Amino acid sequence: MTPHTRKSLEFLLDNLVWFMLIVVLALFSALIPNYFQIGIFTNIIEASSVLGVMSIGLALVIITGHMDLSVESVAALSAMAVGILFCSAGIGLGIKLSPEWLMIPASLLVACAIGGLIGLFNGFLVVKLKMSAFIITLASFIWVRGIVLAVSGGRSAQDLDPAIRWFAIERFAGIPLSAWIAIGCFLIFSIMMAKTPFGRHLIMIGGNETAAYRAGIRVTRNLIIAFVMAGAIAGLAGWLLAVRTSGATANLGVGLLFNAFAAVVIGGVSLKGGVGALPGVYAGVLLLSSINTAINLMGLPANYTQVIHGFLVLAAVLLDTFKQRLRQRLA
Amino acid sequence: MSEKLLVLDDIRMNFGAIAALKGISFSIGKGEVVALLGDNGAGKSTLVKIISGGLRPTSGQMVFEGADYQAKTPAEAKAAGIETVYQDLSLCTNVDVVGNFFMGREITRKVAGIPFLDERAMEEITTKALTSAGTRIPSMRTKVEHLSGGQRQAIELNRFAHWGGKLLLLDEPFAALGVEQTRRGLDMIRHVANQGIGVVIITHIMQQAFQVADRIVVIRHGVVAGDVDRAKTSPDAVIEMITGQALTGAGPVGKE
Repeated sequence: MTPHTRKSLEFLLDNLVWFMLIVVLALFSALIPNYFQIGIFTNIIEASSVLGVMSIGLALVIITGHMDLSVESVAALSAMAVGILFCSAGIGLGIKLSPEWLMIPASLLVACAIGGLIGLFNGFLVVKLKMSAFIITLASFIWVRGIVLAVSGGRSAQDLDPAIRWFAIERFAGIPLSAWIAIGCFLIFSIMMAKTPFGRHLIMIGGNETAAYRAGIRVTRNLIIAFVMAGAIAGLAGWLLAVRTSGATANLGVGLLFNAFAAVVIGGVSLKGGVGALPGVYAGVLLLSSINTAINLMGLPANYTQVIHGFLVLAAVLLDTFKQRLRQRLA
Repeated sequence: MSEKLLVLDDIRMNFGAIAALKGISFSIGKGEVVALLGDNGAGKSTLVKIISGGLRPTSGQMVFEGADYQAKTPAEAKAAGIETVYQDLSLCTNVDVVGNFFMGREITRKVAGIPFLDERAMEEITTKALTSAGTRIPSMRTKVEHLSGGQRQAIELNRFAHWGGKLLLLDEPFAALGVEQTRRGLDMIRHVANQGIGVVIITHIMQQAFQVADRIVVIRHGVVAGDVDRAKTSPDAVIEMITGQALTGAGPVGKE
């Protein structure tokens, strides 16, 4: 094998999910009537904003070799908090701030702070007390959702203040601002992971925690920051969820966790840690979203989406194994 | 070699009821190469971990450069100038050669107050350091998982030679190296010592110890069973110290 073919093969493997996305979009465009429209594509991007943001946080923690199952419930709690504070109907308190724009940073701060605090709690237990991330965050997944149910009493908040709703309505280049937030997050965190020492250290911790520790990297601190980030990002996802649905219900976002997992795995992040990059995760999110759109357009019952997602995750894991074998042969 | 770099005084280490180290005392001078020998389970690796900040001794004192020394973490040991090369390699195989060479010490450029990795500068330095040491690695951007055992060890050895420090601990550094690479590694140790850096090398191979060390310290059952100048002893005598058959030509036993 010449170095050139080897290099192009490596490139193909590294960006496999993007090629898959292109192939899938081309196939759908050719086979499904009305799929090939600008409106459909912007819709795909818009529909993937909440899932996309949530997947970033999950991917960060998985890359360090840990796990955060609580992101879905954290998003729901943040959405509920924003809903209760700034909605005018249902259980909303309808708090007004003047000037009006102040409600945007205030609601964002509330959402991210709640997420960050839960992330800190998870991170402290997992990293400092060396408990299993799977169990700790599973517990958080349950109790945080419990708080959502308790504070809402099972009821919902509606009519989010227009000043905040603005993000879901206003468009730039045909795409709602809420989707731009997701794209912006992917850009910022991709750069953080690829170009800064902090991101590099997270990848190293995921690869070999002992080596990173021996090299003088502050493993404990960095891991806790990763958990806090995952929580805060999940909070942001919750904020987007509240903005998109103009309020919050007690069962908001149920099932998002598994979609986020699917996106992360399809995006090429290995569950054993240390492997994967955020642009791939975004491609994974877009891939899921374009498949959902295709199912809608074909008029299949929505329940099939879950079946398809399940098989996609399986396919992604198989693909990951296959890729690893291929890489070994390349080396 | 007159000046003492690190002095160990009565270091003891218990793991529960098991006493791994029962009072180790010896010293390392500036620019001196000390070979630490001993059978499996004699306590060599435990001792290295205590010096390098991986373990805290149950009791005992260390004096580094004339001051009390006690590292809680490897980072503290590094800050004091003590570098360690471990038996099981400390490389992140999911990261490329450059990333590993600069692990924990990345060169950054600040843009708007945020540190960004300066990949080009790091690649240049890594390439220079590795090629001048005669290590052949096709690309500095190859992930370490694709490299051979020898190449991995070469990265690790070159890393310490480049960063220097004041005291260097090597725990079985040549386990996966070929003949030529081992010779280079031993040369590198001499080179490092000539710069005034103290070196402690743990090895099983008598020949290596006699090739490179100024002094040979033998640990047996958690105590110093021998502490002798290389010139004043022979491989046979050292083997006897290690196995405990006799103590001919051995230095002081236990506490000095």
